[in-house]
Amino acid sequence: MIEARNITRTYTGRGAFTGTRTVHALRGVDFTLPRGGAVSFIGESGCGKTTLGKILTGLESFDGGELLVDGTDLSKLSARRRAPYFRRIQLIHQDPYSALNPTRDVGQILGDPLRMRARETGATRTQQRERAAELLELVGLRPGTLAKYPHQLSGGQRQRVVIARALTVDPEALVADESVSMIDVSMRLGVLSLLRDLRERLGISLLFITHDVATARYLGEGGELHVIYRGQVIERGPTDSVVQQPVHPYTQCLLSAVPVLRGLEEPGPDRLVPLAALDERVATPGCLFAPRCPFATDGCADGRPGLTALPADGAHRHACLHPRARRVVATEAAAVH
Amino acid sequence: MTDPTPHHDGAATAGARPAEVAIRDLTVVYRTEHGDLPAVSHASLELRAGEITGLVGESGSGKSTLALSLLNAVPAPGRITSGSVEVAGVGDVTRLTGRRLRRARGGALGYVFQASQNSLNPLKTVGKQLLDLGRSHEVEDLRALVRRARELCERMGLDADRVLDSYQHELSGGMRQRVGIVLALVLNAEVLVLDEPTTALDMISQAAVLDIVRSVHRENGLATLVVTHDMGVVSEIADRLAVMYGGRIVEHGPAGELLRRPSHPYTRALIGATARIVGDTRLARALPGQPPDLTTLARRGCVFRDRCPLAMPVCEESDPALSEWTPGRFRACHADPVGRAPAPAAVPAPRAQDDPTGGRP
Ligand SMILES: Nc1ncnc2c1ncn2[C@@H]1O[C@H](COP(=O)(O)OP(=O)(O)O)[C@@H](O)[C@H]1O
Ligand SMILES: Nc1ncnc2c1ncn2[C@@H]1O[C@H](COP(=O)(O)OP(=O)(O)O)[C@@H](O)[C@H]1O
Ligand code: SF4
Ligand SMILES: [Mg+2]
Ligand SMILES: [Mg+2]
Repeated sequence: MIEARNITRTYTGRGAFTGTRTVHALRGVDFTLPRGGAVSFIGESGCGKTTLGKILTGLESFDGGELLVDGTDLSKLSARRRAPYFRRIQLIHQDPYSALNPTRDVGQILGDPLRMRARETGATRTQQRERAAELLELVGLRPGTLAKYPHQLSGGQRQRVVIARALTVDPEALVADESVSMIDVSMRLGVLSLLRDLRERLGISLLFITHDVATARYLGEGGELHVIYRGQVIERGPTDSVVQQPVHPYTQCLLSAVPVLRGLEEPGPDRLVPLAALDERVATPGCLFAPRCPFATDGCADGRPGLTALPADGAHRHACLHPRARRVVATEAAAVH
Repeated sequence: MTDPTPHHDGAATAGARPAEVAIRDLTVVYRTEHGDLPAVSHASLELRAGEITGLVGESGSGKSTLALSLLNAVPAPGRITSGSVEVAGVGDVTRLTGRRLRRARGGALGYVFQASQNSLNPLKTVGKQLLDLGRSHEVEDLRALVRRARELCERMGLDADRVLDSYQHELSGGMRQRVGIVLALVLNAEVLVLDEPTTALDMISQAAVLDIVRSVHRENGLATLVVTHDMGVVSEIADRLAVMYGGRIVEHGPAGELLRRPSHPYTRALIGATARIVGDTRLARALPGQPPDLTTLARRGCVFRDRCPLAMPVCEESDPALSEWTPGRFRACHADPVGRAPAPAAVPAPRAQDDPTGGRP
């Protein structure tokens, strides 16, 4: 089990033109990822999603809060003592094109980490080879793929190789950061259902990070969905409840942005107009979303709302002064024959 | 959105308008080590003023090659081997050369290239690139050109002063895409071609860019072609859809009807593979197999047969012609048009075949 408590991360950058500027990439993120569970984070570019994924996999430090793996607080450990914990949490990158070394075939790509892992498990050469074949099958690739180089594979196949490589070290959790956004739409569902399978059949927990609500819905079914805006979680709850009954205007804007499949779906009657571009430099003491919010009132600029439970559903929480249900999500059109 | 309802009914009335662009029987080949192989085969498509046409298909279907033919700009080792592209007021673009061709590009035909987020010159400000564009098109009144660019920027929600003084790296992906549209339209193009305009953007920027495309299209009465692998994107804004696979247009017709009642098995599969926010997630599935490339493309019979749930012996033998099966709707398939087969979502596909290596011997 992985628990994050009030994780914060601030970057202080010095731009040539902009002078010193501080970016609050994460402003106190909390979640619990149980064994075999799923937690998704959605939000547009620049909201802190990748930073969170890197922190969870040990690729980035954090400056406040606690990260607990099976009850052990990693922030209290030395880097060397932390390493074995991070082995258990593997990152699947966004870009399957740059994630694989083009000069090595798939057999080598899987063989290297398997050999490293064997130092701990004592697996023999034969067992390592068997494991490589097993992993390929698990991710839906043919045995012949072992002899292929990355350039001979499609985006979807490469992403499967990346997943197989992450599995070589027997992780308990996968962090998938925009793992399907760079591959063709036609192949995305294949990779998503593979990840879903790994969770359902092997009990691997999944932290899924994306800007695309529809894909989060596929992976996050039965799990928890967090909507993150400029480093703050502004709405969270059971995936279905947040997708079907969002109450925060930002969540409603994200859902309104999902294309409607005309003919098959009817746009929601309260669908919102697209938002203007995000400007992270706007500072506000009030609600972070207020400068772009279509429903902001004067009060919104004064104090920053924290997460509050909905009276009807204690597990569904939001950070808005004026939460309101709006029918922004498309509905299925009446069946045609 | 300004008005999220596209003019699907517009298709019927637009029939009366002359085509702004008429692509006829176009074939484009690339020279490879296996000889000349067609990336576009005998494609015909018309773009009409006031209509957004969506060209959709998986990567490698030949969409960009077809779109580049509108500018007669297929890069070597590619070459147009048959057919014509008639553009109103310009003539057959495939026969233009030199100065007349350069004038048509960016003049009558505005084009926003695939990955145009990265296609601005990194060393010049947007304003400088605008002036270069004007000079290369022998625009006399550069001030008027800048004025028009400012207007377009403003209409797209861009701060014109800031944008014209910016270098590419100072703009976000969504802003660069908008700048691409400004540059494509600043010379008063009547035809606008956008190749994968939202592919690298997040959902919010995507919705904003689509909204802008829709409104400039309407305000300027353009003939617009949107090329994408994403069914959601075309279904959001297109009036007509053309579905492309293996270099062929396999189905086309009014967007709403085509989505509601897809007739080609490939169209059905593409729709069934789209992640949605409504409906049962367990019914949707990825397309089985891999899209073909030039070397694995079937030379005989239907290009889609290896991945088709309805394939029959005749599909091995003969290449189905694109024909009108009901008024205004075209398809290239031997199977029954209304498809007695189950809806795509219900076609069972074994898991391991979702993405098998090679897909073919
Ligand atoms: N190494 C870094 N130095 C400075 N700022 C950074 C760094 N990494 C990320 N940021 C900033 O932190 C914010 C969140 O970034 P990121 O986590 O990449 O967001 P997302 O993945 O949601 O797009 C952004 O404003 C980004 O510019
Ligand atoms: N310069 C080129 N040389 C050889 N083959 C090419 C070249 N450009 C594209 N192709 C091939 O032509 C086919 C169609 O490509 P393209 O038009 O880019 O398709 P799409 O835009 O639908 O992804 C693909 O199989 C691609 O590999
Ligand atoms: S608190 Fe106010 S500004 Fe923030 S989202 Fe709610 S209504 Fe909008
Ligand atoms: Mg990111
Ligand atoms: Mg393309």
